[in-house]
Amino acid sequence: MTLTAQRTETPRRTGRSARRVRHGLATHRWPLAPWLFLLPALAAVVLMVLLPFVNTLGISFTDATLLRGGQFVGWENFRQMFADERFSTALLNSTLYTLCVVPFMVVLPLILATLVSRAERLAGFFRTTMYLPVIMSPVVVGLIWTNMLDQRGLVNEVLGTLHAVTEPVPFLSDRWLLLFSAMFVTIWTGLGYYMIVYLAALVNIDRSLYDAAAVDGAGVVRTFLSITVPGVRSTMALISVLSSVAAFRVFGEIYVLTGGTGGVGGGDITMTMLIQREGTGLQARTGYASAISVFMFVIVGGMLLVQLIMQRKQRTS
Amino acid sequence: MTMISRRGRLALMAGLAIGSLVLSGCGSDMNSSSKPSDDGKVAGKITFQTWNLKNDKFTSYFNTLIAAFEKAHPGTDIKWVDQPAEGYQDKLSADAAAGSLPDVIDMGPESAYTLGQAGVLLNLEKDDPGARKLYLDKAWEAMTFKKLGGTYGYPWYLNTGPSFFNTALFKKCGLDPKHLPETFDELFDQAEIMGKNCKDTPMMARMPSIELFGAYGVPLMNSAGTKFTYNDAKGVELVEHFRKLYAGKALTKEALNNLQTKELETFKAGRLGYMGGSSYTLDDLKATAPNVYKTLGIGPAITNGAPNTYMESLVVNAGSKHKTLAKAFARYVTNPANQLAFGKKASVFPSTVGSMDDPYFTKDDGQPSTKVRLQSAAQVKKAVVYWPAAFSGGADQDTLREQLALAVIGKKSVKDALDTSVKFSNDRLASQR
Repeated sequence: MTLTAQRTETPRRTGRSARRVRHGLATHRWPLAPWLFLLPALAAVVLMVLLPFVNTLGISFTDATLLRGGQFVGWENFRQMFADERFSTALLNSTLYTLCVVPFMVVLPLILATLVSRAERLAGFFRTTMYLPVIMSPVVVGLIWTNMLDQRGLVNEVLGTLHAVTEPVPFLSDRWLLLFSAMFVTIWTGLGYYMIVYLAALVNIDRSLYDAAAVDGAGVVRTFLSITVPGVRSTMALISVLSSVAAFRVFGEIYVLTGGTGGVGGGDITMTMLIQREGTGLQARTGYASAISVFMFVIVGGMLLVQLIMQRKQRTS
Repeated sequence: MTMISRRGRLALMAGLAIGSLVLSGCGSDMNSSSKPSDDGKVAGKITFQTWNLKNDKFTSYFNTLIAAFEKAHPGTDIKWVDQPAEGYQDKLSADAAAGSLPDVIDMGPESAYTLGQAGVLLNLEKDDPGARKLYLDKAWEAMTFKKLGGTYGYPWYLNTGPSFFNTALFKKCGLDPKHLPETFDELFDQAEIMGKNCKDTPMMARMPSIELFGAYGVPLMNSAGTKFTYNDAKGVELVEHFRKLYAGKALTKEALNNLQTKELETFKAGRLGYMGGSSYTLDDLKATAPNVYKTLGIGPAITNGAPNTYMESLVVNAGSKHKTLAKAFARYVTNPANQLAFGKKASVFPSTVGSMDDPYFTKDDGQPSTKVRLQSAAQVKKAVVYWPAAFSGGADQDTLREQLALAVIGKKSVKDALDTSVKFSNDRLASQR
């Protein structure tokens, strides 16, 4: 049955009933009923999201500290932010983090999910193993990797034993090595979660397409690229959005790997770490921290918007 | 009943937005809170806040202390609250912002400075001027903040200590354990030798902190307490020593990022030659690093002038409903007899006049722990609280450590790094009204 046929079968509404449908929410006898149903969720959103957001926006234009109400300073916090060396470092690190982590987060879990879905007997084992890092606390994950990557950690011991290095690799004290180590930890932790998402999407691909491809003599790679990837395209888009937002907001991995310091000379500080540093403690500069938060919101919002536009374009084409 | 129109919904949203802006009020102003009334009597119920002191070692001490006070002052009720010290500044700031600070709080000068500036602590110069004569001048001065024009806490205990050395490492790395460094020059010279002979076990594992600048003889602030000045030639000279050590591989890159906890861990693991500490550190090493303790060398604190000391105080909430009781209790906890008893219990030193003359701090019985205590006690008499109360242990200390690391690895000149750090701290100080 086609969609057109379905539409024609729907009885036409006239008069008052049609007006109710047009106004969407007015399908009940008591017009406020839908709003009452929505009220708890709406109240939570307003109290927990909207009010704090508007509050942050307001404070970002003041010189408020945690203990003192601020005065309106216009764009001063934003001007100061762009002149702040740490802000440029944090912006660069968070951007790099997003650029490097997202491709891995989109592609690797899909490959894993494809492999796991084929290993029918061991699928449960692989799923559990891959998902294990997801349920671990980020702090525990960070501590495990801190011990592994330390100058005297397991990784350096192994590299030394294999004579692959003459001196311990400074994973946790070199700016770039630390950043890449943190990216690796993020990818390692996130793989399992996105793999599960892909596994759910893979189930929806029509099996007959794979059978047809097999009959046509398509190889593994060809089948993957021509059937699996198009079949999970919308999931890939969703994962790219989720992982880019998460990557730009990275905090736990870098915080634990640097012992909360942001690395040697603050070279590994990220946007969220900078906000945490400026916005907490007795000397917190709430106004300045809010300005950075607002800027971060604009960046993350912008990323989401670009991805949304790209998806729409893809759909249209 | 009509449904909510689009215009109505828009109006609702706009109302919410405006309402939240008004509610936010661009933050709360602690100074604008109305002054609470005080009954003027040593009576009522107050809360006493400490950090990490409710445990096997101290609980009975505080319970007895509080019970004795309540017995001596019928009609009083002291509620003792103890919380983990981790993130205590966040807890204090949340309480202060919510207007729910406890009546009497255990606090260091740095936190007291910020809260005093916000107007939430009692100024003892005005509210209890007679207290001054009970405490050592240097302790009272450490709680007196010139920029704020007042004294914001009753001095409690002082803590200082000797230098600890791993003599086994000294032997292994070609140094004489009988000639432990006593001056900065000796320390840097021996650190260089240790670095040359033992690549993996350096003498030092941390960047200099602000109090080390003080002990080196660097002027930290101007006399009015309004500007930081540690970027002078003496400050540059100190950092140049660290730069030289790093260039000679006598300081690891990890050390540029280390905090005090990591320094202690490395020392306990037997991979560090020198560390400053206290009597408490000695007990800790004895219990948790017995191998290091066996070959531990102890010397006086390394300084170019007076040795450094840290101080803790008891502050009184200016908004307390029972200020008279709160003041009386804070004075009671910090009186000479109670400070002496606490000093013995916690391996710290009293800040009250005459307490350091007690035989406990002067009579040697030949034990290593007594030796450290006597050495530290002698040190306390000369010691100075170097850490400026206006220097934040968060933002200022982080910036200093980061800038020093950049200078040591050669990304900046030492002078540039110190200038940046001083400018950051001065800007922050100037922005606080």
